[in-house]
Amino acid sequence: MAVPISQAWTVATYVLKQKLAGRKKYPLVLMLEPLFRCNLACAGCGKIQYPAHILKAELSPEDCFKAVEECGTPMVAIPGGEPLLHPKMPEIVAGLVARKKYVYMCTNALLLKEKLHLFKPSKYLSFSVHVDGQREHHDFSVCREGGYDIAMEGVAAAVAAGFRVTTNTTLFDGADPNSVRAHFDELMVAGVESMMVSPGYTYDKAPDQNHFLGRAKSRKMFRAILSNRKKSWRFNASPMFMEFLMGKKDLKCTPWGMPTFSIFGWQKPCYLLQDGYADSFKELMETVEWQNYGTESGNPRCANCMVHSGYEASGVNYTFGSIKGLLQTAKAMFSRYDDEGAQRILNDWKPAQHGPLVQIGTASAASAKGELQSVSGD
Amino acid sequence: MATDQQESAKIEQLAHHNPDELEHAAGREREVLEGWVPELATEAEVREALEKAFDYRGDVTITRKDGSKIEGYLFDRRSGTSLADSFVRIIPTTEKTKVNVAYGDIAALAFSGRDTAAGKTFEAWVKKYWEKKSAGEKNIQIEPEKLD
Ligand code: SF4
Repeated sequence: MAVPISQAWTVATYVLKQKLAGRKKYPLVLMLEPLFRCNLACAGCGKIQYPAHILKAELSPEDCFKAVEECGTPMVAIPGGEPLLHPKMPEIVAGLVARKKYVYMCTNALLLKEKLHLFKPSKYLSFSVHVDGQREHHDFSVCREGGYDIAMEGVAAAVAAGFRVTTNTTLFDGADPNSVRAHFDELMVAGVESMMVSPGYTYDKAPDQNHFLGRAKSRKMFRAILSNRKKSWRFNASPMFMEFLMGKKDLKCTPWGMPTFSIFGWQKPCYLLQDGYADSFKELMETVEWQNYGTESGNPRCANCMVHSGYEASGVNYTFGSIKGLLQTAKAMFSRYDDEGAQRILNDWKPAQHGPLVQIGTASAASAKGELQSVSGD
Repeated sequence: MATDQQESAKIEQLAHHNPDELEHAAGREREVLEGWVPELATEAEVREALEKAFDYRGDVTITRKDGSKIEGYLFDRRSGTSLADSFVRIIPTTEKTKVNVAYGDIAALAFSGRDTAAGKTFEAWVKKYWEKKSAGEKNIQIEPEKLD
């Protein structure tokens, strides 16, 4: 089981209550961004480019608690910026845990080991560590040599101290599916509870505008990665969302599924797109013209989006939308997705050559080839 | 939110391809806005310039028609039917408040602060990495900017 039963039960009863109340639009996870400053400067990130006075600003614990009550979701993710740079993060997390919210504190884990003693293990708290692949891939993705080793030290310390630890991997064009699979193996050996994986979004403000995956390539890559699964892999994502990534299911975006609150207010419409801010959650829900968002809307800003913040809630809604959805999800939970075609894609995949970074592509491909054989023979 | 001009690469791509069939998604055309002082001669120019100011990731300076100035980060805009009922929302550089300014009250706009989203491509990082590596450096990284 990728999440504790108590959490799965809380989420299931929350969703069913919304459905019984006849609500068409309800959120699943609050994305709480208490600050934008970060101790990394990743090329694919469009979240941290602000003037210094904005980067120094932060939400108070009271601001955070008010937002959580307003929105009412059973789960709260705390991205940023880097949350561990917020001096009151332990207080914020403790307050959310006291409110019985399932908290995913998203971190690059550079500071996790040294700040771990400020937090208490709880079934309500999980450190969601951002690791973008095997060592070289992660280090290049976060533009910091040695970043992977520090993050994995943080993971090891948190696992040893009895915390729930999950991971979050974002893939851009140039990702190597063989290496991603080997990365999953490494994370499971490191003792993480479960993993999340998602394609990167075309952030307008990301310094790098040349490595965004189109939907067709995303589906091909995720089919290669997520088919022929190892029994040991545990994922922290709706099975229907993962089928969507693999191209097995068509889902429409649920832009209100993971609303975002930051120092600017409630972000319209979603975690990824900025089209203004509302001062209350109610105002957000009532004033956004939701039909203008989602890939099917024709909005060019949504065109290639397959990101979990838009589609994870769609997967959950699909599950709880019909008996068929429930049955398909139950089946998906036990499926390894045997797929010879996917195996061929893996075998034939040519790792991208990053200009002078040939060494990285070659090394990863060589090691992954060896690991791949054990994957397929499992 | 970007203007159509800024999104032209994506719009052009989508004119010819179904998004579900794209292998690579187009990125964003970069405009150099830092230092720009738009004309604001017509209502259309005012709206376009403020849309770009909303999208801009540096501070701007607004001069009101009464001569007072406000410098800060323009984090939101609400577009109404006229310039009088449209307004921008700004967090000033020196205060932790949110200030509203009606479009109709704006005499001048300057993209005065540094564009914090400009530059630093992945290619630039890779190039820098290999330069530093061949010079024997260790722990190579892009440092986040110092805030003080
Ligand atoms: S498709 Fe993506 S970017 Fe567009 S509204 Fe949905 S989650 Fe946001």
